[in-house]
Amino acid sequence: MELDLSNPQPLLFLIFAGICLGSSLSVVLHKNPVISAVSLVLSFFALAGIYAVMNAIFIATMQVLVYAGAIMVLVIFVIMLLSLREETNLEIWRSPIKQAGIVILVFMYGVLLVAAVNYNPEIGNGKPVESYSFMIQDGQNKGIEVTGNTASVGASTFLDYLLPFELVSILLTAAVIGAVVIAKREKLNNPNT
Amino acid sequence: MNTIISGVPLTYYLTLAVTMFATGVLGVLLRRNAVVIFMSVELMLNSVNLVFISFSKAMGNIGGEVIVFFVMAIAAAEAAVGLAIVIAIHRHKKTVFVDEINLLKW
Repeated sequence: MELDLSNPQPLLFLIFAGICLGSSLSVVLHKNPVISAVSLVLSFFALAGIYAVMNAIFIATMQVLVYAGAIMVLVIFVIMLLSLREETNLEIWRSPIKQAGIVILVFMYGVLLVAAVNYNPEIGNGKPVESYSFMIQDGQNKGIEVTGNTASVGASTFLDYLLPFELVSILLTAAVIGAVVIAKREKLNNPNT
Repeated sequence: MNTIISGVPLTYYLTLAVTMFATGVLGVLLRRNAVVIFMSVELMLNSVNLVFISFSKAMGNIGGEVIVFFVMAIAAAEAAVGLAIVIAIHRHKKTVFVDEINLLKW
């Protein structure tokens, strides 16, 4: 099967897939963990672009918020706390030309992302993108039907997957408490530390 | 099953996901730094998310995207606990290289 490059969406897919694969290889192969982390952020953004090309807008937003935001902040904080000093010297920030290049790259990347989100012809002129229907059993079979990606995901989460959703909230609470307990200094046993 | 999503065949998405997963496995097997191994695991989780979204779009079922939402929540929990373990190990052993952490070996 060949890609039809006259449409912008296959072209955007190819660009995002290239960025994604290149930055994934950079995560694995680069010696500096800070550059690995920055490459991982780039890879997450490229995946968000692919999700936007596929018209999964809600998941693209969550990808940027949760992965590129929360999880990567956590990883970079840990790299900072571990003080890998000999590895975290970044010469790339000392050259102004390279700084400007990075800023321009980030800017172009944002433009590509916006283009990927906005080019879908169904979005913006009021047409339903996708619909999700759920039948409420109240005697006369009244059904509700929502349109749009985010509304569909929300309806499915809270109507079909309500029990897993609550279980995930319990799991998150347990994980946060466990992380605090594990990372806490043991003052009672070892007063010197 | 609609095998073309937004003008791109389903095979392309799956190939991209498989390549990303293989890259993550390579990172887990090759790297010694625990934080980088952790980032490779995140790469593998993301490639699986891509497969979920692809099949969700191809089969017209919204359930795949809900599962991806749950996977993201569980990845956040895993990040918190895993990085706390890395910090605890670094405090005791003063290293994050996994070949120097051999507590279970004698």
